[in-house]
Amino acid sequence: MMHTWGAPARRVSARLLVVAAVLASPAAYGQGYAAQWLTRVTQAARSLNYTGTVMVRQGARFDTFRLAHQFENGQESEKLLSLDGPAREIVRSATEVRYYFPDAKVVQIEPRSIRNVFPSLSPEQTANLAQYYEFKLSPGGRVAGRVTEMAVFEPRDGLRYAHRFWADPTTGLLLKSRLVNEKGEVIEEFAFNDVTVNAKIDKDMVKPSWTAVPDDWKVVQAGPGELVMNDTGWTVTKLPPGFIKISEGFRKLAGKRDPVTHLVFSDGLVAISVFVEPFTVTQTQVGLTQTGGLAQYSTRSDAFRVTVVGEAPPATVRQIAQSVSRKTPN
Amino acid sequence: MNENSFAPKGRPEERIAPPSEAASREATSVGANISRLMDGEVEDGEFERCVADLKSPDAMRTWTCYHVIGDHLRGGYAMSAAFSRSLSQALAAEPTVLAPPPKRVGQPATFAWAVAATLAAVTVVGWTAFSMVEVPPTAVARARDAATVRAAQVKPTGEVPAEYLLAHQEYSPAFAIQGGGPYLRAATATAATPSAAPAAEPRK
Repeated sequence: MMHTWGAPARRVSARLLVVAAVLASPAAYGQGYAAQWLTRVTQAARSLNYTGTVMVRQGARFDTFRLAHQFENGQESEKLLSLDGPAREIVRSATEVRYYFPDAKVVQIEPRSIRNVFPSLSPEQTANLAQYYEFKLSPGGRVAGRVTEMAVFEPRDGLRYAHRFWADPTTGLLLKSRLVNEKGEVIEEFAFNDVTVNAKIDKDMVKPSWTAVPDDWKVVQAGPGELVMNDTGWTVTKLPPGFIKISEGFRKLAGKRDPVTHLVFSDGLVAISVFVEPFTVTQTQVGLTQTGGLAQYSTRSDAFRVTVVGEAPPATVRQIAQSVSRKTPN
Repeated sequence: MNENSFAPKGRPEERIAPPSEAASREATSVGANISRLMDGEVEDGEFERCVADLKSPDAMRTWTCYHVIGDHLRGGYAMSAAFSRSLSQALAAEPTVLAPPPKRVGQPATFAWAVAATLAAVTVVGWTAFSMVEVPPTAVARARDAATVRAAQVKPTGEVPAEYLLAHQEYSPAFAIQGGGPYLRAATATAATPSAAPAAEPRK
């Protein structure tokens, strides 16, 4: 790691220092190093037992949650409890995700467990990660009382954001992350305030606060349906370099009657979703919206409404939205 | 973000004026702690104390002020009328005022920028700005894309609709690695309108 160069480097000439810096540069890690680091941290987030207080800042939003995560018999269970703002409780089990909103007396049940596509980066994605981001690892100071290592993914072009991650080097658990825009502003942030890793997690800690849904609550079976993989007939003609298609199909979307076309592109670090649906008069909203690091751009393309959502600068999201078109039949 | 934003330019170390000698040591330390709290940089042992510090009206004002500045640095929400009013009253009482003419009170967005600019002159605010403005990414080919990026600096309106966010969230590797993962986003997205996500009616 870079910091190990410190002591010997002091004894050599300035020119050798430059050489040392070059040797310690990301190239020395090899192409797969960034992907390996991400994989390790992803595995840690899934397979460790931990509990702590998490702060999340998304643009103008600021939320604090109590988090408990359990990994038992190959299954993840998780509970998030909001500590400020509107009361919310999210409980994830092997089979479903429940969102409790006590103020509104609503429970939303998502009859599936989100299975992150990561870690299963294809060789092409691994190569893209190295080609479009400069990866640096260095000592990261203390977070939540723990000494960390900091991983920086610096974009090599202006089409993506910079990412900084602080992880516990011993367990690999991510303790803090920041999404930084082209102006150097932190637009999204996640951080543990306190954390106990390898904690003993009782079943109750990852169970809903309500054993049964109270009678006067509204139960909503919802959430995005499973993606039915298929060739949708849609394509993006001006895909920013480094992004490749990782998923394509149709899915049910909350509040929409008919299945919507959903294509997903990734550069190995972030994802950009393309949704296509028939244009209706009730959907007047076109243009850009942003929540923290997530940008959305909607536009009309003939009889269709194209919506692009992703963790990328508005220009990137817009470029994709404006180049969504029907595949020309051969 | 607005082209006329007061987002500091130039090298990072030149961006922020250091806290003035006049600023009391205690106020600065509380202000710094609030800033660190917002940045998630408060350590385990200090957390309780920092939260306790927030209970003073002065600290609460600083907290609100930092958030307002933060919101507007990021092109966030318009302020409530009540907040704008009380802030404009406070500004009116100030001797060296950059306060906008009264008629602008009815235009929260414009007014907010003026307020942000005024507040920026208050040295203690430097702490916040410093904590929110990191060293800019030093990518090589930035200039090439700058024009496109600027072209897309449309002022964002509203929030990403929850139904798209919920369908998208699972695919991003950078967010899969967080404890709580994509659910954190889902939690915040559905917070304001719990019925928006599962709504039977199409959104406007």
